[in-house]
Amino acid sequence: MIMEKIAELFIILILVSVVLNVSSPFIKFAIKLYSFQSLMLAFYILMGAVHFNSINLYGSFAITVIFKVVLIPYFLFKTLKKVKMDKEIDMYIGIPEAVVFAGSLTLLSNLIAQKIIKTGITFGSFVFTISLATFLIGAMLMITRKTLFSQIIGFLTIDNAIFLAANSITHGMPLLVELGVLFDLFVSILILSILILNLRRNVAV
Amino acid sequence: MYELILILPAAALIVSIFADVLWMSYMQLAVSVLVFCAVAAIALSFNSVTVFLGGFFFVDYINLVILITVSTLELFVAFYSFGYVRTEIAGGISKRKFKFYYFWKNLFIFSMMVSILSNNLGIYWTGLEATTLATALLVSFNRTKESFEATWKYVIMCSVGIAIGLFAIVILYFTTSQVYGESLRSLSFINIMQAGAKLDKNFLMLAFLLALVGFGTKVGFAPMHNWLPDAHSQGPSPVSALLSGVLLNTALLGILRFYQINGAAGIYYPRYFLIGFGFFTILVSAFSVIKQTDYKRLFAFSSMENMGIIALGFGIGGIAVIGSLLQIFFHALNKGLLFLSSGNVLAATHERRIDKIRNLSKNFPVTALVLLFGVMGISGMPPFAMFLGEIYIMTGVFRSNILLGFLVFILLIFIFIGLFGKILKMYMGNTDNEEPGDELKNGKKAHKEVNEGAIHPFMVYVPLILLLLSSLLLFYIPSPFLNIVKSASAEFGGRIIF
Repeated sequence: MIMEKIAELFIILILVSVVLNVSSPFIKFAIKLYSFQSLMLAFYILMGAVHFNSINLYGSFAITVIFKVVLIPYFLFKTLKKVKMDKEIDMYIGIPEAVVFAGSLTLLSNLIAQKIIKTGITFGSFVFTISLATFLIGAMLMITRKTLFSQIIGFLTIDNAIFLAANSITHGMPLLVELGVLFDLFVSILILSILILNLRRNVAV
Repeated sequence: MYELILILPAAALIVSIFADVLWMSYMQLAVSVLVFCAVAAIALSFNSVTVFLGGFFFVDYINLVILITVSTLELFVAFYSFGYVRTEIAGGISKRKFKFYYFWKNLFIFSMMVSILSNNLGIYWTGLEATTLATALLVSFNRTKESFEATWKYVIMCSVGIAIGLFAIVILYFTTSQVYGESLRSLSFINIMQAGAKLDKNFLMLAFLLALVGFGTKVGFAPMHNWLPDAHSQGPSPVSALLSGVLLNTALLGILRFYQINGAAGIYYPRYFLIGFGFFTILVSAFSVIKQTDYKRLFAFSSMENMGIIALGFGIGGIAVIGSLLQIFFHALNKGLLFLSSGNVLAATHERRIDKIRNLSKNFPVTALVLLFGVMGISGMPPFAMFLGEIYIMTGVFRSNILLGFLVFILLIFIFIGLFGKILKMYMGNTDNEEPGDELKNGKKAHKEVNEGAIHPFMVYVPLILLLLSSLLLFYIPSPFLNIVKSASAEFGGRIIF
């Protein structure tokens, strides 16, 4: 029981970090938040691993920490340093509106999750609600912000949401598949970084 | 034999890091011919579903059709690339750049093969995402502002789309894990099909819809298609041919797998979504074709239209499925020849705009002819094989719903007019806005005369052979291939509606 409460705390922290991301225009902070968010996801997976004593989940925890908490933020920071950009300037909607919008998306995802999930889920429909909310808010970040970095952050948030969903309705995907997915994610971040640098050189982003 | 299809591109990938480019182009020919022979041998002796490499990969009739398509087009593209590399190097592009060309192209082929052959849906996903990444730096090969922007759009949109596809796989995994427990077996396609009827129908439907939207982004279905014309027109022409001809089908395979699983579970209404998306895609591309000013973009929209037709055929079921499977193969050949021959024009003139190119028949006699007949072929006119695919699909559509049939028919005429009118102008029209002596009068340098002599003969004749092959296939389809297509269509069998 107490473990469930702790796991829920981690999940809530994920949602909080996403909403914080919406409320802040600073890109460096956004990358730090992403790293934090991934760490919370990893801890959530670790709780599952301890609870079910599953080697699969321990492995999943390890690769999540390596790829999402360390490697991807590291490369994003490196790119950011080269690009010398610190603040999101272009947004389609202002920050207060965006936060209100994020809140209503959370409510909406609660409604959807109640409809979809009936019984028999690992930690109840709560986690699924949060993962849907994270997914939608990540998509909103991609749509409402114009800077290339914010689009990457939005994409990564969506990806975290899917990992969370995979860990909420099942006990995580098979390790082999998860490794492939994370590796692809990592390479796509590298390629997007290369593209940012090149676009920066050719065009004023 | 089966493993060879995966090993050969992987070997070529590693060799290409070290080898010299010109030497590598010979190597690439050998690899492509060998892969083609391996696939041909499999196709000739194939009689039932075969699993290999520890159950992670398999060949069945449906992915065999796509496998044949990929290996055939790859063979022609390898020969074309042989000439392309030489022409571009002579034109002043560094050899170093082409080393990466072969590296990424082989990675692309390898990941596409992984994705087509995979039995495990997770591995399918990994392979499909890897194709996006492998082609990203090929699309931005020219390193211009436009190409980088196109690549950015391509990678971001497809990655998000495929992430939604991953959501679909997660939900499917949740559903199947109630039957098989949480292991790799729950993602294995063969096992899922066996468990079909025992699965939760609501979740399967949800998974199909997410897969349709997610992988549909990569197929280029209509509301999610914005990246497609940019990405397909910016890459080097051989890559464009592969992107349009076969990569779209690889993504479609994912949707078809989910469709099959739904069929096995006894859910038949996903087909209406396929019909809807297919029709909407044809509609959007019909109106987009008319206003295009760039000939490679024109062909990219035509690919979109054909993917719409193929999806429509799969949704209709029955005889239209045979048409769709044939169309997958014929469209790849025909679109390949269009992109390759327009690549000749681009390589020699460095001009993408339709209104800047006139009187092709004078300077590029063979290429212009291939281009003109290729456009006839892609519109489904009789002396070319796509006629066969389209007539099957249209028969199916007309039998199921006459109104839908008429609408699709009118849209196809729109597309025909759009394509043919533009290419015909390139073929013969004089340069409209300037008089012959105009440039000299203004003191500009006279327009440099470019002709087919400037490009490698392989580039000229490979599209021609493709054209002849495409024409030949209308009259004679090898019976083993026809049998494979028939058996593949039987796997969508439960939904024949007439």
